[in-house]
Amino acid sequence: MAQSYYIFRSGRLKRKQNTLYLEQEIEDGQIRHQPIPIENVRDLYLFGEIDLNTKLLSFLAQHGVVVHCFNYYGFYSGSFYPRENNVSGHLLVRQVEHYLDSQKRMAIAKEFVHSALFHIRRNLNYYRNRGKKVDEAIDVVEASMGRLQEAQDVLELMREEGQAREAYYKAFNEILELEEPFEKRVRRPPDNMVNALLSFGNSLLYAATLSEIYVTQLNPTVSYLHEPSKRRFSLALDISEIFKPLIVDRTVFRVINKGVIGEEDFEAVGEVKGIYLKEEAAKTFVREFESSLQETVKHRKLNRHVSYRQLIRLEAYKLIRHLLGMESYRAFKVWW
Amino acid sequence: MYVIIVYDVEQERVTRVCQLLRRFLHWVQNSAFEGELTESQLETLKVKLKEILDLERDSVYIYRFPDKKFVRKEVIGQEKALVEVVI
Repeated sequence: MAQSYYIFRSGRLKRKQNTLYLEQEIEDGQIRHQPIPIENVRDLYLFGEIDLNTKLLSFLAQHGVVVHCFNYYGFYSGSFYPRENNVSGHLLVRQVEHYLDSQKRMAIAKEFVHSALFHIRRNLNYYRNRGKKVDEAIDVVEASMGRLQEAQDVLELMREEGQAREAYYKAFNEILELEEPFEKRVRRPPDNMVNALLSFGNSLLYAATLSEIYVTQLNPTVSYLHEPSKRRFSLALDISEIFKPLIVDRTVFRVINKGVIGEEDFEAVGEVKGIYLKEEAAKTFVREFESSLQETVKHRKLNRHVSYRQLIRLEAYKLIRHLLGMESYRAFKVWW
Repeated sequence: MYVIIVYDVEQERVTRVCQLLRRFLHWVQNSAFEGELTESQLETLKVKLKEILDLERDSVYIYRFPDKKFVRKEVIGQEKALVEVVI
């Protein structure tokens, strides 16, 4: 059972004795070796300053290991996406066909947005049942959901989603026990604790989704809700949209409300003050995030337990079935 | 499934066994490894082990658990290596 490895230390990643080694110089020139069982690696998340060479990259490619790199501030900077083993020209043609035909594209994009809003409402309902005043936000989200069917193009979908999210983020002040109120979602750079956590969590989820897409035959650059732009694997953005409220937001609520991570775990860096997680807190968050991904639920159709991470992959498989005309795509919605 | 493997092999084969296990599991102590494996990974590992071992002299014990949560681990004294995915 492959696992994700999150490497915060700095050092050199090496291929040695046919497995992975992290070598790190500690004081007085001594080198600490940390072996990592290669057969057990699904993907690597590099946060530290890591040296590596092409020998290592081809070794990782052999084992189909995707490597995600994050910069000093914990922002996603890119992935090593090994040569695809599972390619399908047939599916790629279908993927593009569904992008070019605006009706077909809308059908898929709507599902993504609908599911994302559905899960946002789930989160809000959860807190309403616990006596938080989030009714206003729920109304806005539901109104947006109602208007989705009439949306004519992707821009309109995006607008509905944006409105719903704005109301949702306003409700954060009710949900979270914060010293300073959460004003609005700000990126690049995040301006407060909540934004920093959301940014960090979203980039982890984006990378995890990309790893899952890698296993399937889908081409990660052709997307439906987001424009398939340059530089990014935008299909991962599309699919992770569905899971953000369930995985990232809930993890953020948990770490803040349980006091696992607090104001003291952040630091302001840069000319335009950005707020960033300190290393120890980032590790804590990653652990929480990973345990959210590993949490399992009983799948009704498959009749077995699947983890959230596997649900992401199942989503990709459902999309493939849709594109090949086997079954129309119904985005994942929590059923419990 | 969660697997614990301990081995007692003649010195000339120790390194090879250790190196093989390192590819699949986490080293926890001299001659002891543990970690998460699938059924097929364990089969592969067994085949490879048999290629190295002298079955007349060496011995490898494999303990398997359906899930990590059934393993309660206590450490007395030094913890030699951490089984962690956040490094």
